[in-house]
Amino acid sequence: MANLRLEHVEKVYDNNVKAVHDFNLKVEDGEFIVLVGPSGCGKSTTLRMIAGLEDISSGKLYLDGRDITAAPAKDRDMAMVFQNYALYGHMTIYENMAFSLTLRKENPNVIHKKVLAAAEILDLTAQLNKKPSQLSGGQRQRVAMGRSIVRNPKLFLFDEPLSNLDAKLRGATRREILLLHKRLEATMLYVTHDQTEALTLADRIVCMSMGHVQQIGTPIELYDRPANIFVASFIGLPPMNFFTVRVQNGTLVGERFKTALTAEEKAILAAYEGKEITLGVRPENIVEGGDIPVKVFSNENLGMNTLVHGHIGGSASASDRITAKLHGWCQYKPGDTVMVNFKRKHFFDKETTNAIWGEDKK
Amino acid sequence: MNEELQIKRDRMRFVKNSLCANLAIIAIVFDVLYFINIYEADVSHTVGNFYYQYRIGVSIIYNILFLLATFLSSEGIKNYKREYAFALIVLGLLQIVRIFWLPAQAAAAEVTVGSVTTRVMDAAQHVRVIIYLAASGACCIASGVIGLQRCRELSEHMASLEAKKG
Repeated sequence: MANLRLEHVEKVYDNNVKAVHDFNLKVEDGEFIVLVGPSGCGKSTTLRMIAGLEDISSGKLYLDGRDITAAPAKDRDMAMVFQNYALYGHMTIYENMAFSLTLRKENPNVIHKKVLAAAEILDLTAQLNKKPSQLSGGQRQRVAMGRSIVRNPKLFLFDEPLSNLDAKLRGATRREILLLHKRLEATMLYVTHDQTEALTLADRIVCMSMGHVQQIGTPIELYDRPANIFVASFIGLPPMNFFTVRVQNGTLVGERFKTALTAEEKAILAAYEGKEITLGVRPENIVEGGDIPVKVFSNENLGMNTLVHGHIGGSASASDRITAKLHGWCQYKPGDTVMVNFKRKHFFDKETTNAIWGEDKK
Repeated sequence: MNEELQIKRDRMRFVKNSLCANLAIIAIVFDVLYFINIYEADVSHTVGNFYYQYRIGVSIIYNILFLLATFLSSEGIKNYKREYAFALIVLGLLQIVRIFWLPAQAAAAEVTVGSVTTRVMDAAQHVRVIIYLAASGACCIASGVIGLQRCRELSEHMASLEAKKG
């Protein structure tokens, strides 16, 4: 159990590439934090700095109030689970899980108790005498987690642990990690580029891009109230649709469509009258029936929903491209025109790309 | 049974019997030392007639078989297989028997070079090879006996676990 605090943490490599800019975060005891972002955004670098596998160029790192900025990895009392499991192939699962404690010369009987307890939690008891090569990917990842659990660390660090698993196994292992977190009530930091993992696992998400923190918040905050265009486009599947529109007399006027604003939306956009903004609409917030024509060019049936891809007003321009997630099994053919409406809208400043909340919600 | 002992026994389900396996490997090392020393002689140009008979062939073949059998037994006992414990005890006893064969014969045999009569194996060399063979035999026997004990403990423990499940 631990509190972790990062204050103005930065990482600059020898070639002057700045991988992490002014990272600030306070992780509460027992919290599950997910660092999410595209490849190269600095999330793994941040995790490695926390683990002590990378030096911190500037800033401070505190664990339970103790400054561990310069402490070596072995003295940080953290356990890291890697994407590639990092198991010893010549050892049995029992030996792999016991290894770190054996190195610390702990009492073998104590090690035995801890390994059995961890194996019980992870449902690995029947596999303890097997070698890693005899296990499935999901089981191997559980062993890697078990190796962390036996150490009873203050902080668990996960670096894209599910990336090597197939979709079905990823879902199952994700649920196991969630149960594990609830059972251990441990503080966990989890790095992923998969927004589904972030949304389902996290108490709070740290969304990163190009080494900068874009937004820190609960999953619903990031989904419902994204701070900027990057977060809005990164969180949500399929991604949000964006259009350049002009605010004009209580309506939004796009190149090929026009849509009325509610009273609340008018209040939010009061300062933007006559200006261009970016309108964001999530595919699931688009409904059939309305006054915006979409010319369909492809139709993907997902069972419960249908993804309809098209162009607003029949234009072939990329800026008019739209994806709608319509309820039910739709049978649109390429060339069909569907009339849609935007049920919920997000507004972004065209210059800064930041979300427009209006005066009361800033 | 106290908890510590219970856990110690339970560990055997997952931890290899390295003590017995290592003892068997040490027995091999002592046997190699014996083999290196047994044919050493200051009067090699004359003792050749003593060793270069059937006994050198038998000695070499037995030694190869011993190395192979002990190594296989060390792997077997590592996994708590009772039959390999017995094999190690037999191999250990045979090492003790060997003390009274080639080393004893060589120590008792004399050769005459010119007017000087000398023993094929002097006392120091004799003591050395006896120590090597005795150590090798002791390691094998210890490995076998400890192995048997552990196999018994493990099978009892497994039986008690089965009974609990039932």
